[in-house]
This record gives sequence, C-alpha cells and structure tokens, in this order.
Amino acid sequence: MKVLVIEDDEETRAYVARGLREQGHVVDLAATGRDGLFLAADGSHDVLIVDRMLPGLDGIGLVQALRQTGVRAPVLFLTALGGVGDRVRGLEAGGDDYLVKPFAFAELLARLNALGRRPPLSEAATILRAGDLEMDLIKRTVQRGGRPVELQAREFQLLEFLLRNADRVVTRTMLLEAVWDFHFDPRTNIVETHISRLRSKLSQHGDPELIHTVRRAGYVLRARASSEPA
Amino acid sequence: MIRVALPRLLRVASFRLAATYVAVFAASALVLGVVVFLQARSALEQQIAARVESETATLREEFRADGFADLIDTVKRHGQGASALDYLLQDAGGAHLAGEMPSVPGLAPGWITIDAPQTWEDGGQPEKVRALVSDLGSGMLLAVGADRRQINDLEEAIARAFLWTVGLAAALGIGGGALLSRTFLRRVDTISRTAEAIIGGDLTRRVPMRGTGDDLDRLAGTLNRMLDRIAILMESLRQVSSDVAHDLRTPLSRLYQQLEDARMHARSMADYEAAVDAALSETLRLLETFSALLRIAQVEGASPRAGFRDVSLTAVAEAVFDAYRLDAEQAGHVLSAEIAQAIGIWGDQELLTQALSNLVENALRHTPPGTRIRVCLNGNRCGGALLSVEDDGPGVSEGDLLHLADRFYRGELSRTTPGSGLGLSLVSAVAELHGAELTVGAANPGLRVELLFPRTPAAQFPLPPPRIPGNAAAGSR
Repeated sequence: MKVLVIEDDEETRAYVARGLREQGHVVDLAATGRDGLFLAADGSHDVLIVDRMLPGLDGIGLVQALRQTGVRAPVLFLTALGGVGDRVRGLEAGGDDYLVKPFAFAELLARLNALGRRPPLSEAATILRAGDLEMDLIKRTVQRGGRPVELQAREFQLLEFLLRNADRVVTRTMLLEAVWDFHFDPRTNIVETHISRLRSKLSQHGDPELIHTVRRAGYVLRARASSEPA
Repeated sequence: MIRVALPRLLRVASFRLAATYVAVFAASALVLGVVVFLQARSALEQQIAARVESETATLREEFRADGFADLIDTVKRHGQGASALDYLLQDAGGAHLAGEMPSVPGLAPGWITIDAPQTWEDGGQPEKVRALVSDLGSGMLLAVGADRRQINDLEEAIARAFLWTVGLAAALGIGGGALLSRTFLRRVDTISRTAEAIIGGDLTRRVPMRGTGDDLDRLAGTLNRMLDRIAILMESLRQVSSDVAHDLRTPLSRLYQQLEDARMHARSMADYEAAVDAALSETLRLLETFSALLRIAQVEGASPRAGFRDVSLTAVAEAVFDAYRLDAEQAGHVLSAEIAQAIGIWGDQELLTQALSNLVENALRHTPPGTRIRVCLNGNRCGGALLSVEDDGPGVSEGDLLHLADRFYRGELSRTTPGSGLGLSLVSAVAELHGAELTVGAANPGLRVELLFPRTPAAQFPLPPPRIPGNAAAGSR
C-alpha cells in the first residue's frame, strides 16, 4: 500500500514510517498540514495517517479540504486527545478511524489494513463465507460444514466482524469498539472470553481452528491454516 | 484617599441615578409652575375686571346724578396716580372729551382691547389696554380700562421664583449625587485593589467589610466566599498534582530499575527480551493511569455535556451485563441482573457505560471466586432511576468506605491487585455530571454501590463544581 503519514512529531513520524516500510508499504511523509495537503492532493495514496494537531492547517481542516477536492482515500486520525467529542468530530470531518496516542504499532497496522483493503464483499452482501463457514445475515444463521452453529447475538456480531475482516488482524480494541461499542479499555477479559466461547462453538465437531491469536496484536480469522505474519 | 476625576465620577451608577432624579424633579416642578402661573394670572385678570366694572358703575352713577361736567372732573381726578385705571370719554361723533386713552372710532359697548400708542408712563412703550366700554346715553361713550402691567409683573415674579427653586434643587441634587458617588467609588476601588492584589498572587487577601450589611457589603461577602472556594480548589489541585506525581513515581522507578537491571545483568537475547517485555507492560500500566486521569479531567472539563442525549439506561445496563457475564462466569463469580425495562435518562451513553463497567469490574476484581454480583436497575417512585451493583464478598472496612472515590485511593487489601485506584473516581465524576447521587455502603456482607438518578433532566442541573479529591465523600450517609 502507499501510505501518507502527516505528523508533526519527528519521533512518531520516523517510528510509524520505519514500521510501515518493514511491512512492505510505500510511505510518504509530511510534517505540516500544508505539505500534507499538497502531497495528498494527487490522490495516489491508499491510506492517509493524519495527526489531529498539526501546525498551520490542523488535521480536521486538512481532511475537510481533501474531501472537498475529491480525495476519497480513507483517513486514520492519530491524536493525543481521547475524548468522546474529539472522536466524533474527527469522524464527522471525514475521517474513517481514530487512534489515540500512544498506540501499539500492531494496533496501527491492523487498523490500517482494515481501512486500506476495503472488504472485497460489498456491504450489501447477505452471505459471508470463509472456508466451510457460512453466515447468513438475513436469517441470522451460521453453518460450519453444513451443520448449524447456535450463536448468541453478541457472538454473532463478533463472528460477523471477524468474517468481514477475514485474513486481516483485528485488535482487541477494534473488537471492543465494533462489537460492544466500548470506547474505553476494560481491564477484564471480555474479548478473550467471548473469542474462546466462539472458538469452541465453531469447532464442536473437531473442525480446524478458524480464529487464530496473533501474539501482541489480536486475532485473525483464516479459512486455511497458514504461517502467522510477523 | 483617592482623587476622583470628574469624567469617571460621571460614569458612576449612583451619580447617574441622582442626575435622573434631578431631571424628573425639574420636570415636575415645571408642570407645577405652569399650573400656578395660569391660575394666578386668571385670578388677577378677574380681579382687575371686577375693579373696572365697579369703577364703570360708579362713574355712570355720578354722571346720572351730577351731570357731564362733574364726570369729566372725576375722570381727570381718577386718572392721576401710578396704579390708576385708564379712561376715555368720547361723544357720538368719536371726538375725544376726556381721559388718557386716545379716542377710538366706531367704539361699541362691551369689553375691548385698545392698542394704546401712549407716551405716558413707562417711557412711552405702546401698551394693550383691556377696557370696558359703556353707553352713557345720547351717543356718549365711557371706556374704563386697565393696562397689563400688573399681570406682567406677576408673571415675571412667578417665573423668577420657579427658576431659583429648580436651579437650587438641581445644584443640590447634582452635588449630593457626586458626593454619594465618590463614597461609592472609594469602596469599589477598595474591591478592585483587593482583586488586583489577588491577581498579583496574594491569594490570602480579602475584601474588607464594614459590617453594615448594605448591598456593597453583601457583594464583598459574596466575593470573599468565592475567594475562599477558589483557595480550596487551588489547594485541592495542588493535592491532585502531588498525588499524581507520587503515584507515578513508583511505577516509573520500577521501570527504571528493570531497564537498568537488564543493562547490567542481561546475558542473552532472551534476558533482554524478557526485560523489554516487562518494561513494556509497566509502561502500559502507566499509560492506563494517564488515560484514566485524562478521562476524569474530560468528564469534569469544559463542555462535558456536549454528548448528552436521551439514553436508555436499560440498554446500557443490559449491554454491560451481557459483556461481563461470560467473564464473570470464567472467573468463578455469579453475575446476575435485574433490569427494569424502558428506563431512560438524559445523559452520555458512553460515560454511563464506562461508569457501570467500572463498578462491575471493581466487583469482579476485588472479590474472591464464588461471590455473587448483582446488577439492578429500577425506576424509583419519584420518576428517577436507581442503578446498583452489589456483591456478597468480603466488603470494605469502615475506614476505607470513606475514601473509595478518592483519586488513587486503594484499600489495604487491594494494594497488590493491579489497578490505578481511579475507577470509582471516574464513576463519581460521571455521577455528578448526571446529577446523580453516588452511595457506597456496606451490604452485609459485601459492598453495595448505588447511583440514584434524578427525574429532572441533568441538563437543568447546575454543572457540578470540580470535585475536591481530598474530601469528596465516597458515600452520603
């Protein structure tokens, strides 16, 4: 992916750039809002990572300007502000996701992947599939290898999110936000316990594991077993 | 003593008030003066007319009794003297027979005004004379008139008296107003000086009070109470800062020790990795503490009610219960809920969710396996809502109960479990934001935390003052 990082803090910029390049992405860097706007204007980037607070033109203004010029690339806001209002303002301005500093690099990477590679399934798809797993969004049913799997509402939501992001790492925080609408970090194991319950329901008949744990990052739903990414 | 410059004096409210009073007084005096003036003039005119009529009657009587020659004599005699009336005697042909007034052609009986271009008296100014003309018979006409001198004198006297009165009253009013304003200004200046001293950093200064209980004294009292409150808040702010510094010092030194230890003793890649992992998780805990603090600051911050809308407390309670049920089960706790349907309040869904989550998490983390934890939501009879989390665990000591909501407070028993000691502080801040009453009490056994939401939408409550961590009561009992 070609990623543009607009961030005024040099340390953070270098940290993000190094990490992304290690992952094989092409990275452009800008230190001010104006430079960022200039670089982003050609629309060649797959994802933009934008700091909320920038000298000159701030993140919100930058994204609004970009959206007006027709740049549709998804935007991930980085910010030191973590309030409810800040997040809502960022998303209203045309941002697609929001990450509060400090963040783990794995978290940034997972969110970036979720943003950059838009689901191949259209939002309107009514049946989600991964290997022998099939989810019918209309009938609210799940089948594994043709056998029905009984899921509770929350487990269904959890599996749906994993399926929509199949083959991509999703972090614990992403799950908390998407499935539980929790925008804070509970210090208990809500996600872990639900994942493990879901796993056991999906593998009742000795089927191979679909949901894999990625150390220090999160989870990934994979149809076929393959080597874990670093 | 302060010298009061006049322009500033003119801007003082009490002076303006005095000036307004003077203007109103002058206006009413003017109305009064006009009424007196008109009444007096009309009375004088009537009096003069009566005098003219009676003189005419006398002269007619004399004419009838003594004849023409005597009349002319009398007219000439009466015409002498300063306050004498004016006379005219003319025959049917209009010829002047006697009197100071000139003959008037075509004279007819009745009241008339004669324009008399006379040269007598007053330096010969022409005067209007009001005269009564009567027919003495055979075309002989007698006119008796009075000039307006008397009336003019009266008019002048009244106008002079009026001007003096109003002028004096205005001078007294303005002067008195200025004097009062000067006193007022001096007291306001005292308050300003005190405020300036406080701005300059002397927080112990207070506005002096006279003890008279007047409006300025009351204002001074209010200002002093405000200053006392600010001083307390400043003190608590200092307290929080030092608490923060103190509480972060421990994990930071631990982090430092871990890194230093690794630098000195790590021999292998595995040693280094272990040390880095330990340092990372220590850092994470530090960051958690910071975000908890930030969160509380935001709840207590500038526009914390921006996210307020109609929130279903039922949905919040169900979501939290649902989220923690599995977790509780795995930890060996029994989490149950009794949630009334369709209970809504005006509030911030995200903050309420986090507050309730904190309460449930606290119960999960600080009680042994097997403890029953119960989440209840009821509408209460007053139209509000009661949200409670209760456990039958070992509970909390009487002494700890008082401090549970304090920032960084952690009971002796929980010192060893992970946590920032900020969980209940956030709940307390969220409760105040929603106008709810937070009660932490013993449940015999165990602990019961209650949030009592009022019926009135929280938007109508005054914003809670920033909490004073040092003495924020954990429970109201």
